[in-house]
Amino acid sequence: MRSKTVFQQEFKIKGGDFVNAGESSCKIRNILKEIGIDADIVRRLAIIAYEAEMNVVLYARHGAMYLFVYPDKILLKIKDMGQGIENIDLAMRPGYSTATEEIREMGFGAGMGLPNIKKNADVFKITSKVGKGTALEIIINLNGKNG
Amino acid sequence: MAEISPLHSIKVNKKKCIGCVACMKACPTKAIRIRNQKAKIIYQRCIDCGECLRVCPYNAIVPITTKPSAVDIFKYKIALPSPVLYSQFGHEIMPNEILMVLKEMGFDQVYDEASVCEMINLAIEEYLDENKSPRPIISSTCPVVVRLIQRLFPSLCKHIIPIEPPREIAAKNLRQEISKEKNIPEQEIGIIHITPCSAKMVSINHPETMEKSHLDGALSIREIYNKVMMKLKKEKRPLMLQTQTRISGIGIGWSIPGGEIRGLKYSNSVSVSGLYDTITILEDVESGKLKDIEYLECLICPDGCLGGPLTVENRFIAKSNILRLIRTFGGKKRVDVNFVKKLYRDNFFSFEHGVKPKPFAPLDKNRSKAIKKMKLKEKIIEKLPGIDCGVCGAPDCRTLAEDIVRGDAQLKDCIYLTTKKYKRKENYGKKKN
Repeated sequence: MRSKTVFQQEFKIKGGDFVNAGESSCKIRNILKEIGIDADIVRRLAIIAYEAEMNVVLYARHGAMYLFVYPDKILLKIKDMGQGIENIDLAMRPGYSTATEEIREMGFGAGMGLPNIKKNADVFKITSKVGKGTALEIIINLNGKNG
Repeated sequence: MAEISPLHSIKVNKKKCIGCVACMKACPTKAIRIRNQKAKIIYQRCIDCGECLRVCPYNAIVPITTKPSAVDIFKYKIALPSPVLYSQFGHEIMPNEILMVLKEMGFDQVYDEASVCEMINLAIEEYLDENKSPRPIISSTCPVVVRLIQRLFPSLCKHIIPIEPPREIAAKNLRQEISKEKNIPEQEIGIIHITPCSAKMVSINHPETMEKSHLDGALSIREIYNKVMMKLKKEKRPLMLQTQTRISGIGIGWSIPGGEIRGLKYSNSVSVSGLYDTITILEDVESGKLKDIEYLECLICPDGCLGGPLTVENRFIAKSNILRLIRTFGGKKRVDVNFVKKLYRDNFFSFEHGVKPKPFAPLDKNRSKAIKKMKLKEKIIEKLPGIDCGVCGAPDCRTLAEDIVRGDAQLKDCIYLTTKKYKRKENYGKKKN
């Protein structure tokens, strides 16, 4: 019956919208705090959600983040309709980036996004199709009394 | 202290409060509700920022600071004014005159905090040199920012620099020195901060980083203003005494936002003032957005302590006065670098212990129940009009929903759901698809 206890919410993200970028990850943080998730886990998820949200804003037309909070874990899915990633192994390498000069000038595209997400996740899955889009699945385990 | 220490520095005067929504709306941590037509502060959520105090049209929110009469119990009384005090009496009044007036008002000694500010500047630099923990390192000066981080950004507690602010270090130093010099037992010395905000009172009564504060109380600038002003106007002090002083221009600069970072060799430091800007920047820190910033100075009041709720002078005029003083006293370093380095190594500036996270209570202690309540809360939000009128006694519809799932309010508290007139307009206030 535990699987029924899940809080879920969808957050739409618009590609190229730097004005509102970061809003979804901010909302996610507040939800987790209210549920009483441990501060350090909130921090890890905050970093993951922000980096993932920025990836959509930077490289895709649009996308969405889906948050699922279970008593024992948090699942975050990010799907986007975008250019996709040609070589995932390469994309996972710290410092590797396909960002344009413009994006770099804005202070993004340092090639740390995906490695940073992976570093903070317990489970990290990525699938991508060139020309279609990218999907990320991140799990953070919640240890502790109420799991 | 003779009086019982209050947990917080703000209370509601029920006789004056008419139950309007001004304070409740202004509160950044949603710590106020209107119950039985009176404002009620939920102290577990209050961070003592003083926003409610600023916005109340009826002066019904009262700051709690030390009463001048409570100072008299000490055998030896020392006034330790915030440099903000120097900005309050016009640009022709020199700091020394103000210090002299304070002494005439019954203090056995007065002490300028500014030179200690300069010492702390060096200590911060030492810490940044030595310590490579995650950036940015956040200033500990504003007691409200410390409480805001504990409450809303608990994971950032370890970013707070473990160095006490100038007022505490000045008091620590003074007590030791005066006790030795005058042969007075330490507990008979009363060191009183003259403060632009009531939050300092909380940090004195309930320090977050040590067992007991080095200060014994705080008088508000508002409280002593008239008396000081009158004395200043009545008699001019000899010019020589006015200017003969060791006051540190760098230290005075601490009262203006950016004062802490101006002297740092780390130029990638940032200064933020004002409640909402502080919250925004801390959100960015939490996202990992600002790792490249070395030091972050956050002050909760607009224009920093010059905009404190217990100041008198308009903060822009006050700023102009301070800038003039900085020019007068110059940027010359007045403290001995090697001496400060030695003190730093002896941990003279250090916290006794780190700032502990104090997050708000979750919707439920049991995580499964909390998740269920969160779902319920979202359902309730759907039903509410979303116009945040505040008539129910909660600051906005989201908070009412939260209060309902916590069992502190009921759906029928919403007048839009109970009043016929509005019932017909089912989608009142809702966005049209």
